[in-house]
This record gives sequence, structure tokens and C-alpha cells, in this order.
Amino acid sequence: MYAHCMFKERLQILLSTEQRRRLEGEARRRDASVASLVREAIDARFGGVTADERLRAVTGIALMTGRFLPPDELDRVGEEERANALDQLLRDAAR
Amino acid sequence: MFFVDTNVIVYAAVPCSYRDPCLEILEAIGRGDAAGRTSTAVLEEVWWIELSGRAGDLGGLAERAYTIFSPLLPVTDDAFRHALSLPAPSLGPLDRVHVGTCHTHGIEVVVSADAGFDGVRGVRRVDPNDDRARRRLLGSRPE
Repeated sequence: MYAHCMFKERLQILLSTEQRRRLEGEARRRDASVASLVREAIDARFGGVTADERLRAVTGIALMTGRFLPPDELDRVGEEERANALDQLLRDAAR
Repeated sequence: MFFVDTNVIVYAAVPCSYRDPCLEILEAIGRGDAAGRTSTAVLEEVWWIELSGRAGDLGGLAERAYTIFSPLLPVTDDAFRHALSLPAPSLGPLDRVHVGTCHTHGIEVVVSADAGFDGVRGVRRVDPNDDRARRRLLGSRPE
């Protein structure tokens, strides 16, 4: 992911002993550098979506014209659709 | 920080009394003025509802919601364990997972039109149509 990036910004931060232990443990587990994990965490937490993109998404939702279902029925739709997908999977597997 | 339930996202896309308050919530989050988060489990539920067609034409809703809420809260081992141990007969498995996710991430408020969350240990529900509670919530800044 970072193969073609130039890292020019240096940032010095203080961590707790526990945070450092966790970070180094994860780096060892993945055979990765601590720095690459910090960069990954920054991208995951403060991802690349801008406020403009988020607001455009809200505008898109505001233009939609769905049909109202009460909360318990919405729950049921989600559950039934998942159950139907599972049934289909089992039917396909049985063939 | 507060947790945004599935119905808030769906009702923002549906002509109903919840629509304007739900859009207000999504807008505040999109602008970065409110610390609302949601999870992978919520967006999966939104996606199933969208694909079912049973709540009308909601094509693209899950993708737009993802844009608003990314990065999503993960459903972790700890969240699932909490969901399993929750004494909440009014909630189905998925809503329990949402409560577990709140617990894991230190979130105490769930914004939802679903009264099933009322009285559940560890979370307080804010109804999107409760103007006073909603405005108080939207005054909260992202951490």
C-alpha cells in the first residue's frame, strides 16, 4: 500500500507502556514495522473520505424515495433476507 | 460519542415523520459536527433491506451510508461476548450485537426509533423525533 508513497513528515508521540507493548506485539505477529502499523491505524481511523464527499452522500440519501416500514418490520426484513440467503446456500450445497 | 442504528439511516431515505430529524443527524455527522458512529453490522443490515426492495427503492443507500460513516466500528470478539451475555429479551441477536459494540467502544447512547433498546443495561436510547434530546446530542463534538 505504501510502496509508492514518500514519507516526509516526522511525528514524535508519547505512548503508555501498555500501548507500546501492544503495538510491538502486533508488529511481531504480522512481521511488520511499528511505523507501518501506526500509518495503517491513522488511515483506518481518519480514512480518506472528505467532509464534502460525506455531505454529498447525505444529499443523495435525501433524494431517495423509499417506503416506510416500522422499526420491528425493518428488523424482520433484515433477518428474513439473511435467512433466505442461507436457505439458498443450503439448497445449492445439497444439489 | 453516540451509536447510529439501522432505522436512522433507512428513515433518512424514506418519506415519513422521522426523515428530517434523521437527515439532520446524518448531516451533522457528515460535517464533522457530531460524534456519531455506526458498525459493519448496521451497514450490513441496511444493505439487506436495500437489496430486498421491501422498503421501496433504496438503491445505493448502503454505499452512501458507508461514505458518511467510514471508518466503521468493528464487531469484535468482546462485542459479541457482551451481546451473548445481555439480559435483554426485547432485543434480537443483531440489536444485541449493536449493544455489545457500544459496550466495547465505550458508547452509552443509541440513536434509534426502536423502543426495544429502552431499558437495556448500559445504553440509553435517543429517539430521532425527540427534538430536545437530539439537539443536545448534536451539540456533542467528535472526540
